[in-house]
Amino acid sequence: MATESVPAARKNSVMAPATYVGAGVLVGLTAIYWFLSTQMYADVLGDTAYAMSYWFGTLLQIVFAVVIVTIALRIGLDQGVGKQWLFVGMGVAAFAIGDIIWTVLELHMGLDPYPSLADPFYVLQYVFFMTAIVLAIRSYQHLTPIRTPVIIAAAIAIILGIVVYAALLAPHIFPAGIAELGFWGLVVSTLYPLGDVFFILAPALALALIIRQLGAGRLGWPWWVIVVGAVVYSFTDAFYSYADWSGLGLTVTLDMGWAVANLMFALAALVARDVYRVR
Amino acid sequence: MATMRERVEAALGTYVGDTVADTCVRGTALSLGKSADDLTEADLPALESSIRRLLGPIAPSSVIDDLLTKIQKGF
Repeated sequence: MATESVPAARKNSVMAPATYVGAGVLVGLTAIYWFLSTQMYADVLGDTAYAMSYWFGTLLQIVFAVVIVTIALRIGLDQGVGKQWLFVGMGVAAFAIGDIIWTVLELHMGLDPYPSLADPFYVLQYVFFMTAIVLAIRSYQHLTPIRTPVIIAAAIAIILGIVVYAALLAPHIFPAGIAELGFWGLVVSTLYPLGDVFFILAPALALALIIRQLGAGRLGWPWWVIVVGAVVYSFTDAFYSYADWSGLGLTVTLDMGWAVANLMFALAALVARDVYRVR
Repeated sequence: MATMRERVEAALGTYVGDTVADTCVRGTALSLGKSADDLTEADLPALESSIRRLLGPIAPSSVIDDLLTKIQKGF
């Protein structure tokens, strides 16, 4: 006897071929920047090639921002998720603007860009990213418990905040103080590593614990990619400060962390576009 | 023939995972004074309202409309 059971889910792929192409292009551009960065670090480029490589990395951030904002607008700002992705995109856009200012100051004006007008824009990425993730977390409150994940993430953030204080702030940043860093230098040197923990990593951890409850549910997919990007961003940013101050030395890999993190945010938006598409 | 519970859980599970889908269906049934297995076609309006409320913040309305259409058609 033929039985009609639970209808099987469609077998067609959630991800569109165009998404693989788009993701491939973004990854390829980032790989090119990685190669250029190795040449910049090796100091084997002429002035023009160095400047072009520098600008390549800066413009790459703009590409990432445009991808995310465009997808957010396509989802629609009248939709809750559209707003969440717009904030992710605005965060990357703020970072890109900061990078443009940094590039102009350092490359073309020969000024030390730290601290500078670039910093408010870098700080804005914290604001926009945290807003996006808080909105995303709140959007799941009717589906899954969110209190416990938030408490666990906050506890981990406090522990990591203590680590940042013990490894970076107390031995390096605070002793340097205003005398060495200037007022704004001290402010941003303190804010960045703590911001990485409390405004990027902690919200991302909370979100990860929440969407983990969705199992293989596809609405969680893009947020997993966001979480990976947030982890890369926060560790890069915090460890960059530590490596710089402790004399550990900076590397191309470490320097690429921001580009890779913003790449992950752009890839997440591409995944979101497909997940939200009606088939 | 798939029951209403199975239809809804299969459709919802694709988006929010099987566990959350099961919780949603049982919660909606409970609000109607029924068990999940007792849900019928007549409960579709209540299920639709519940699904819109739960998924509204996390998915575009076009996705929710499509999902509800699939439930009504039994896929």
